[in-house]
This record gives sequence, C-alpha cells and structure tokens, in this order.
Amino acid sequence: MKDQYFSTFQLILLALFAALVVVAKIALRTPIQMPGHTGIFWMAIVIVAAGVVPKLGAASIVGLTSGILAGFLGMGDFGALNTFLSYTAVGVGTDLALLLLRDPSHPVAAPLAAALGHMGKFLVKWALSAITGAPAGFIALGLARALVGYVIFGALGGLLGALTLQALRKAGFFAYTAEKV
Amino acid sequence: MTQSKRIIIAAVILVAIGGAVVGLEALRRQRVTEADLEPGSIPIYVDGEMEAAFTPGDLESLEQVSFQDAEEGKTQKGWMLRDALLLHLTEENLTPQTEITVISTSREKSAELTWSEVNDPSNMVMFDLSGRGTLKLVSQLDKLNTRDEWVQDTDRIEVEAP
Repeated sequence: MKDQYFSTFQLILLALFAALVVVAKIALRTPIQMPGHTGIFWMAIVIVAAGVVPKLGAASIVGLTSGILAGFLGMGDFGALNTFLSYTAVGVGTDLALLLLRDPSHPVAAPLAAALGHMGKFLVKWALSAITGAPAGFIALGLARALVGYVIFGALGGLLGALTLQALRKAGFFAYTAEKV
Repeated sequence: MTQSKRIIIAAVILVAIGGAVVGLEALRRQRVTEADLEPGSIPIYVDGEMEAAFTPGDLESLEQVSFQDAEEGKTQKGWMLRDALLLHLTEENLTPQTEITVISTSREKSAELTWSEVNDPSNMVMFDLSGRGTLKLVSQLDKLNTRDEWVQDTDRIEVEAP
C-alpha cells in the first residue's frame, strides 16, 4: 500500500492545532489595542504545529482548517472569504518561510518564519481591500503601523512557539510521538 | 547554505515585502484622492452638496472613547460620529429626525441613522480605526451592533433633512 504523506495521527494533531487557533482567537484577550496583536497566540500554535509535524504543508493544513472553521463561525470583521483566505495565508506563508529557514525550534528562525507567516495574513487583507476598491487609509501611517504590529506580534508568537518546542523536546514529547507516527 | 545566511535572506524578504506594501499604498493614496480632499478624508454631503470633510487632522481635537462589543467581546476604540459631525456642522442643521447615512462604497454597505440616535452617547455610534487604517462605523444600537451591520471602510457621510 502506498504510504500517506501525513499519517492519520499527524492529521489528527494538525486538526487539533487548527481548532486551538480558532479557540485562542475567540477566547484569549489582551489589553493591547494594536493591529495584529492576536498573532502572539496563533503564530505560537502554528509554529508548534510545524515543529510537532515536521513536514512541508503542516502549517498550511492548520491554516486551511482553521480558516474553514473560522469562516463558518462568522469570525472576522470583513466576511467569511476574507477570514478563510487570511487564515490560510498564515499557514502557507509559514510553510514557505520554513522551506527556507527549516528549523521551527530555532530561536531566531522561528520568529522570522512566524513574522513572514503572519505577514501573509496582512497581505491578504490588504490585497482584498485594494481589489475591492476600499478607500485609502484614514491615517497616513495607519497601514505601516498595522504592518509593524503584524511583524512584531507574529515574531513574538514565533519565539513563544520555538520555546514551547524546546520544552516539548526536553520533556520527551518527540520520542513519544515517534512511536505513534 | 548556513542557517545565518538563511536568516539574513528571510529578513531581507520580510523588509522587501513590507517596503513594497507601504510604497504601493502610498501610490494608491495619491491616485484615489479627490482633488480638494486630504488623502483618506471622508466627505460629508448635506442635502446632496459636499459641505465638508472629516479629515485625519480632526482626530487631534476629538476625544477617544471605547466599548466592548457584545458579539466578540473585543474593545472598539475610536471617535464619536456625533463629535466628528459637530466639528463641521452646526446643531441648527441637525434636528432629531435628520437622517445620517454612513456609506462604504467599496463594500456596498451603509447605515441609516437619525441624529437623535447618533447624538445619544449611550448608543456609542463611533468610528473605530481598522487594522489597515480605514474607519469602521460601530455602535451599541440594536440595529448596528454586529459585524454584519457595521460599515467597514467608510468613505462617505450623507446628511439629509427630513
């Protein structure tokens, strides 16, 4: 029988991470009123997912699945399509970044990969608004401020994810999952 | 290729994408600006005639307010529509039944309100600054308290006497 690229166990793990992204987005609140601040939570989860299932496409599956869930739950201010595409872009962007940076548990590579992945979400929102003819930003530097927010909070989330992966490695989690795959 | 080289390449890509977006948006701002309006301004039409425009400079003189929306529990923070209108219109122009329509041309959405609804501070009819820097009309009014009802990317305000 032909080997599957992702095992059933890995797919279940990725689906759980995708659900966690949506739950984090709904349940976790920070007092920070800056664009992209939720990236701290969900980029950490995406980076951990990419580390736990170390295969190209793992982050994309988390992004795609969480996008479907979030779209059906009516999350986001700009409609289901915007929500679905922006969540998916986070996963695809992270996968592409990890194609170059490789190790999601590296304390510098992970924040960079997460910042690039989170920027994917920003790019989708920006591109969709430009395509639909949305007005230029009310504040001249509003977009630049948002961009900086997405990069910083994405990178912080990536660092959190890398630290989590290192802690999981120390705790023997990867030795445990190696037997399941 | 060493990891440090990979990190440098990724950092360059990050900066390049960011620079491209900011540059393209700056070009877009120049193109879409109406002749007499400051970039990003929202024109206010009174009985079909453009009377004034709500400009970014106006924000300095307006008090910021906030509330937590019932739908997702997020904090919506910005400037009251009432205050923005009163910067450019006198209260004599505005009777309780005056109709105020806030429009997003790109999203083909609008919210129709009366001055009495807008003027009541407990309704929190206000503009929140969206992530990409455009204004989003939000409120706690029953008819305007969900994301579907809010007016994202607002680009026009119409005021009409009843």
